[in-house]
Amino acid sequence: MIRLRDVQKRYSLGEQSVLACAVDSLEIAAGEQVALIGRSGTGKTTLLHILAGILRPDRGEVEIVGARMDQLGEAARDRHRGRHIGMVYQTFNLLQPFTALENVLMGALFGRGAGGDARLRAEALLQQVGLADRLHHRPSELSVGQVQRVAICRALINDPELVLMDEPLGNQDKATGGQVLDLMLQIATDAGKTVVMVTHDPESAERMQRTVDLATLRGASGEAHSTEAAR
Amino acid sequence: MKLVSISLRNLRIRLVATVLTMMSIVVATALYAAILTMAEQTEARYEGSIGGYQAIAGPNGTSELELVLNTVFNVGEAPGLIPLEVCQKLRAGRGIGRRSQVRYAIPQARGDSISSYSFPVIATLDEMFSLFEWKRAPLVFAAGGPFTFSYAQLTEMAEQLAAYENALRAELPAEQRPARPQLQPAWRQCVIGARVARTLGLQLGDVVTPVHGKAGEFGSHEHPEASCEIVGVLAPTNSPIDSTIYLPLGIHLLIDGHEAGVFVSPQVQGKSPAQIEAMPTSAGRIALTAVIADPKDHMGPQILRREFGSHPEAQVAWPQDVVPKFLRQIGNAADALAVIAWLVLLVAAVSITVAIYNTMNERRREIAIMRSLGARRAQILTIITGEAALLSFFGALLGLVLCHGAAYALQDLVEDLTGVFLDWAQLRPWELWLLVGVTGIGALAGLAPAVKGSMTQVADNLAQNY
Repeated sequence: MIRLRDVQKRYSLGEQSVLACAVDSLEIAAGEQVALIGRSGTGKTTLLHILAGILRPDRGEVEIVGARMDQLGEAARDRHRGRHIGMVYQTFNLLQPFTALENVLMGALFGRGAGGDARLRAEALLQQVGLADRLHHRPSELSVGQVQRVAICRALINDPELVLMDEPLGNQDKATGGQVLDLMLQIATDAGKTVVMVTHDPESAERMQRTVDLATLRGASGEAHSTEAAR
Repeated sequence: MKLVSISLRNLRIRLVATVLTMMSIVVATALYAAILTMAEQTEARYEGSIGGYQAIAGPNGTSELELVLNTVFNVGEAPGLIPLEVCQKLRAGRGIGRRSQVRYAIPQARGDSISSYSFPVIATLDEMFSLFEWKRAPLVFAAGGPFTFSYAQLTEMAEQLAAYENALRAELPAEQRPARPQLQPAWRQCVIGARVARTLGLQLGDVVTPVHGKAGEFGSHEHPEASCEIVGVLAPTNSPIDSTIYLPLGIHLLIDGHEAGVFVSPQVQGKSPAQIEAMPTSAGRIALTAVIADPKDHMGPQILRREFGSHPEAQVAWPQDVVPKFLRQIGNAADALAVIAWLVLLVAAVSITVAIYNTMNERRREIAIMRSLGARRAQILTIITGEAALLSFFGALLGLVLCHGAAYALQDLVEDLTGVFLDWAQLRPWELWLLVGVTGIGALAGLAPAVKGSMTQVADNLAQNY
């Protein structure tokens, strides 16, 4: 499902080149639920963007859901992401002018297409997460928990093989966030989806099947070494 | 959901900016459409209204254009007077071969009007409905028929009026003067054009009262003694004929107060106007404003040109020559105005570019979110270009609606001022092209911000927490 080899991403900061993310080796099997943990600044979000194909690494191999993202052009990576990867962000990233239903449908529009039964699927998903009566509400008219559930529906609308989550509990109280995360994991488990979550919160990480400390993945050139803590 | 739904929503959430930007497109499109409409309908109207007006004899000292505009299109005041003898000369054919060079020469006198719409009144002969050919056939009546007042009656009345006038000028006592011709009840009939009937709700049997001058203007006054019964309503011609009231010349000549203007004074060197006024007159000096004529054959125009080339009082204008020249001038003016309209459109296009470009910074996150969902750069480009195109499309559509609305509202005013009938309901093929063109220009105007939007760095902007 996910295979990374000798991946490195650097940023230019003035004349300096800063190493943002380095992974010697990482493999995640289909159906696994993995938490990537690390302190702030360890490159969690950069890694997530590499997994999503939003960023292309400066070097290394990135294979995601059968596609070598490091070899694909930008448009192809976008298309692959739209069809095979669902994303849930810390800030939910719903588009404010659009209703809950439209936000979910937008995921379909840029993924497998918003025609056909996309609307029915979107309504069914929103109903599944308890938002049947909030289809036409805008994000500003929803609670934080409801907004996150809409974000989850949007991530699942294309029935993706992989769901990437970025600090999904970061912006809300833990009780509500925990419930929503449990819901997400339940849906993913039922559908056999692979879930990768980046977080700095050990409590969230505990809900996943496996935790990978980003610091342990940095082994290239003797700078770091890679370890995996299996649960 | 489609990309166009996103474009539409983006326009809606910035409604004020959208409306303000759209206004410039509306104005530019309306302006351009109005110019094209006016130029096209002026051309159609003027070319289509020439009809049977082959030659027009009118006073010297005025332009041929003025003469044609007044006689054919009812524009402006009659430029002057010509004596009846001009008409007699045309009909008698004193030229080569001493035969008439014209199929008809119908005298006209105008100066009165009807109602506050100032529909012009033309005093003429019944030949206007029997000999005059409107597009190779006499004018068609929608109801009723022509009035009766013949050329023979006119010449007889002219003789009587001249005798009476000469007695007055000779200051003969009243008992020695011949009787002034009396208005015959049978002459109190008129024929009205289709638009007059429609606008004023007139029908056969109704009575209209001519007003001297333009109704409602200072110095105008009614002539109840010349009230006429409507005996005929003409079928629509889509020409100024539709806005005209025709009545017998006999009424015009005998209307109270018109005595002073019934005869045209000749130009005599060495005599003062008062002395000329006191000189005996003749039937041939009866005043007309124009004579419409139709040369018999291809030689006719040349003979008429030669005969009237050095005429002291009259000239002949040829609508077939004058109108195309006039239209070319209008065309040039329309072209100049069209350039201005295109410049306004250009400014509007720039305003679209600026308006959308200015939103790009605040929309970086929104674009980054869409990209993270799988949107390609090309789709972002389509969404933003689509906004500009939609804004332009609706602006152009409103502009066309505004143009048609203005044509409807100003229809009567424009017809009164220019003689051009604006058909507000008519849709023309170029309107579709204008709609497509303005939309295309708008889309092009949206390209620059669209490119900027599509270049948005996804990772950087997703990371920001607004």
